[in-house]
Amino acid sequence: MKAIIAVAGTVFAAVWQVTVAPLFPVWNITFDFVLLALVLVAAFGTPRRAMVCIPVAALAYGFLANREPGLLVLAYLPLLPLGLYLEETRVPLNHFGRTALALVATGAWARLLLVLGAVVGGASANVGFVLFGVVLPGLFLDLALLSLVYLPLRLLGWSGQSMSLSRGGYYSSL
Amino acid sequence: MIGLALFLALAGQVGVLNPFQGVFLRITSPVESVLNGVFRPVASLLSGAGEAGNLRDENNRLRLENEALRNQVGELQQNAEDIKGLRDALNLTQGDQSVKYVAADIVHRDASPFTDVVTINRGSGDQIQVGMVVVSTKGTLLGKVTKVTATNSFVRLITDTQSTVSAEILGTGADGSVKGTPNRGLSFDLAQGEIQVGDQVVTAGLGGGFPRGLPIGRVASVSGTSQDLYKKVTVEPGVRIGTAENVLVRTDFIPESLGLED
Repeated sequence: MKAIIAVAGTVFAAVWQVTVAPLFPVWNITFDFVLLALVLVAAFGTPRRAMVCIPVAALAYGFLANREPGLLVLAYLPLLPLGLYLEETRVPLNHFGRTALALVATGAWARLLLVLGAVVGGASANVGFVLFGVVLPGLFLDLALLSLVYLPLRLLGWSGQSMSLSRGGYYSSL
Repeated sequence: MIGLALFLALAGQVGVLNPFQGVFLRITSPVESVLNGVFRPVASLLSGAGEAGNLRDENNRLRLENEALRNQVGELQQNAEDIKGLRDALNLTQGDQSVKYVAADIVHRDASPFTDVVTINRGSGDQIQVGMVVVSTKGTLLGKVTKVTATNSFVRLITDTQSTVSAEILGTGADGSVKGTPNRGLSFDLAQGEIQVGDQVVTAGLGGGFPRGLPIGRVASVSGTSQDLYKKVTVEPGVRIGTAENVLVRTDFIPESLGLED
């Protein structure tokens, strides 16, 4: 049941991303609600559930925005390895810190990859604009959005989960 | 997962996903309608409040333009009467009867600093085809249809960084191309002729991608000296592209290159 809610929430985030997010741009950048949904699934659910939600999000967002779903899978893919890496290396950060770091790194990678996709498609871009006009404002927005959502969820009783994949039944964790 | 990404990329290129995309867009359209109905008025309110200063400047500029245009109207009315008399004498019909439009609503938008694509609620069932030109309700060029499903179409706006439109300056013969720039702006790459702030930019019709004479906007700034090989010219769109809600798709115009492929 929780897996169905997670998948439905991810699809809803994709719809929200193309309908509501463009209406409220900050510095000409839109909040990435799809990434936020995936981070929340990974941080408060299970990594396996997030592994299902990443392609679902890529397909939904790709269909709605006419973007390449394959490119979107690659854009959001680093989230889980990053979360796992931060846990395994015992970086002195609490759950919020690790979640935030995984989010901003994945967000930066996703935005860079999508800019690269646009450049390959014929867009012209200079490094300075990509860095200061896209990536850095994007990092700030991603972090601000997570901060707004994370605390209320913890207050509601949601507990932070590990992002490491434990061995065992794949389907049982769904 | 990387294999899945490659599979999806391949499936997207081949077109296997297109039917699923059509069904998905149909399923999600009620949710989009609700979200648009709730949040668009809020966004308009906030946008209006945030742009009060800009609106005041624009209002002053429009007042001056209005005065100049009023002066021109009298002259044009006189010309129109002369033309009508001549048309009657030659038995010509009034207006271009061949231009056909389909009205559509913008249902959602994919906006980033490098992309500006909107989805409209008209598709192949409404005779929409890839390559058709999309204009505002007042006739200003907005973009071009790039993909069509049964019920929806995707339109790449002229402010998208992948958009290029051959254009000319009205009345001077200067021409070049209008391109989308990062952060949803427009630049004009001048090929020949002189250009100055305030000039009206219209489509040139070269290459067959767009019909000739569609208004695009006006020259907002020209920077660079007379010795510069290329001047930096920015164009202010004739319509507020970011807040457009309704558009017209010109169904009588199919780009020549696509026509040849058929």
